[in-house]
Amino acid sequence: MRRMRRAGAELLEGLRIALAALAGHRLRTFLTTLGIVIGVMTVIAIVAVIQGLDRSFEAQIQSFGAHTLYVDKWKWLNLSGDWWMLRNRKPIGNRELAAITRESRVAVAAAPMTWSRSTVSRGAKELTSVQVNGTSSEYLATGGGSVRDGRFLAETDVDLARPVVVVGADVADQLFPGAAPATVIGERILVAGRPFTVVGLLDRRGRLLGMAMDNNVVMPYTAFQRIFGGKRSITVAVAAPPGRLAELEDELTGILRRVRQVPPGKPDDFTLNRQEQFLKVYQGLTGALYGVAVGVGLITLVVGGIGIMNVMMVSVHERTREIGVRRALGARRSTILVQFLVEAALVSAAGGAIGTALGLGAAQLVALLSPLAAAATPSAVGLGLGFSTVTGLVFGAWPAWRAAHLDPVEALRWE
Amino acid sequence: MSGGSLLSLSGITRVYRVGSEAVRALDGVTFEVGRGEWLAVVGQSGSGKSTLMNVLGCLDTPTAGTYRINGSDVRGLSDDALADLRNREIGFVFQTFQLLPRSTALANVELPLVYRGLPRHERRARAEGALQAVGLADRMHHRPNELSGGQRQRVAIARALVGEPSLLLADEPTGNLDSATGDEIVRLFAELHGRGHTILLVTHEPRLAARCPRAIRLSDGRVVADGAGREVALLGAPQVVSA
Repeated sequence: MRRMRRAGAELLEGLRIALAALAGHRLRTFLTTLGIVIGVMTVIAIVAVIQGLDRSFEAQIQSFGAHTLYVDKWKWLNLSGDWWMLRNRKPIGNRELAAITRESRVAVAAAPMTWSRSTVSRGAKELTSVQVNGTSSEYLATGGGSVRDGRFLAETDVDLARPVVVVGADVADQLFPGAAPATVIGERILVAGRPFTVVGLLDRRGRLLGMAMDNNVVMPYTAFQRIFGGKRSITVAVAAPPGRLAELEDELTGILRRVRQVPPGKPDDFTLNRQEQFLKVYQGLTGALYGVAVGVGLITLVVGGIGIMNVMMVSVHERTREIGVRRALGARRSTILVQFLVEAALVSAAGGAIGTALGLGAAQLVALLSPLAAAATPSAVGLGLGFSTVTGLVFGAWPAWRAAHLDPVEALRWE
Repeated sequence: MSGGSLLSLSGITRVYRVGSEAVRALDGVTFEVGRGEWLAVVGQSGSGKSTLMNVLGCLDTPTAGTYRINGSDVRGLSDDALADLRNREIGFVFQTFQLLPRSTALANVELPLVYRGLPRHERRARAEGALQAVGLADRMHHRPNELSGGQRQRVAIARALVGEPSLLLADEPTGNLDSATGDEIVRLFAELHGRGHTILLVTHEPRLAARCPRAIRLSDGRVVADGAGREVALLGAPQVVSA
């Protein structure tokens, strides 16, 4: 009990002394902590920006079909050298789409997806390089967006290959500037030189990975194949109920292997892609950025720590006599050690706190002035304070040890 | 060993190494101090006074010989045990007061009790009592630079007394004070002596030593005289003692 009380009292005393010492040398304290402040600020700002990016990116991915598998001949984001193997795969076509629609019990929607770039015009207004999507009525349910006005493609549109389109927000803005949405429905436009009737307008979707998602027109894939040809491989987007993506993956693999007659023991000749793959690649990139940020931060913290060590040496030197007095009055070595460690940790943590605040401020500034997002997470704040405190303890250890091992007789005599 | 003595020194020797040379600061010092005694240790500078004080104060340990304080043999004690011994048994009064400049008189006096692990309210109460005992009840919340030299030394004495040590050890306690203030401090010591405290002064001032009932003279690290304060200090006639 007494020992604990003694330890508690000594710690409090150490805190009190440290605060008094720091208050007594404000400028010196400030200059000392500057290194820590800058180091922590840099790391916090970078981490906050990266975390903000991560979050907004994740949110975007979620809104674009987090529960959807994309059956494709190609593997997305394939960075390995086997693309030529994928090239020799049989194309994915109507047969696969029909099989999935017919046999899948897990899927809630399955839509073919084909795309090309072409010219879209109305009167004298001509837009080049508009993305033309060919799909079916189930496209929206696989994460294809939503309709703002009019309607989406109907099953009969697809069955009869009707010349109808649903128009993306950017295209609508440019072809019908200032027009009320309702008046646009029923208008005729030319896609790749052929007349199409506008039956609906899509909601604005923003950008994904920097790509404009609204510069498109959507038509029945049967109509698409008449214009652009039916031999190219299509992608089939298949939506699963929430939480059953893995189940869907197994089921689709079975269906597709059978339809495509893949012999047992041979690898799949198709790929089930996910939006998450983008997330993984993206996280790999930001992970590297994290590494750089932490590296830079550690170097600055070491520099800051050396500053702390230096000023603690000075502090010990200046207070040699005080140390002697305390030892004479019954302070143990450990008491003196704790006293100086507390002081070092306090200076450093104060620097860390200021650095954290400035770093979060800088991140908010970046968020305001640029399209980058920033997020202040408790983990970043904890990281800043924790790292700076540990730095103080590590670099304060040697001066504190020296203080604790001063000879009391010498220390008392010191002028 | 005699059980009645508070301090018991027997053949205390302290050797310093200065380069390759060995300097004998203390050379077989032997004496005893009873409870309630008031004595002075006098001698020229270089006589070993300071070294003796450091040994008596458990700040330093002798190279050879036995030193017991209140029954404890300091030989072989760990650094922590020595710190605890100082905290419990010894109250230091220094020539230059050695108060912590940024702390109030009260906080300065409380310090030994912090290291003893007493709860805050008890520390506070005892420190206030000690300051009252030295006549500074109205200066408790002043910092050292707001106090006169005599007041500072009183704070230091209060700090030395607050832990109720068995020995008050004062090193030239009047050395930095004018003679009137010095006399005041000496009167305070006399009063404390009257209340039963054991006091040992280390000084080179014969006038101060003469006020003590007993004095010991050191020369070249040996005890050359031990007797009534006035005789040892003023007459300066060394009276050889049998070791």
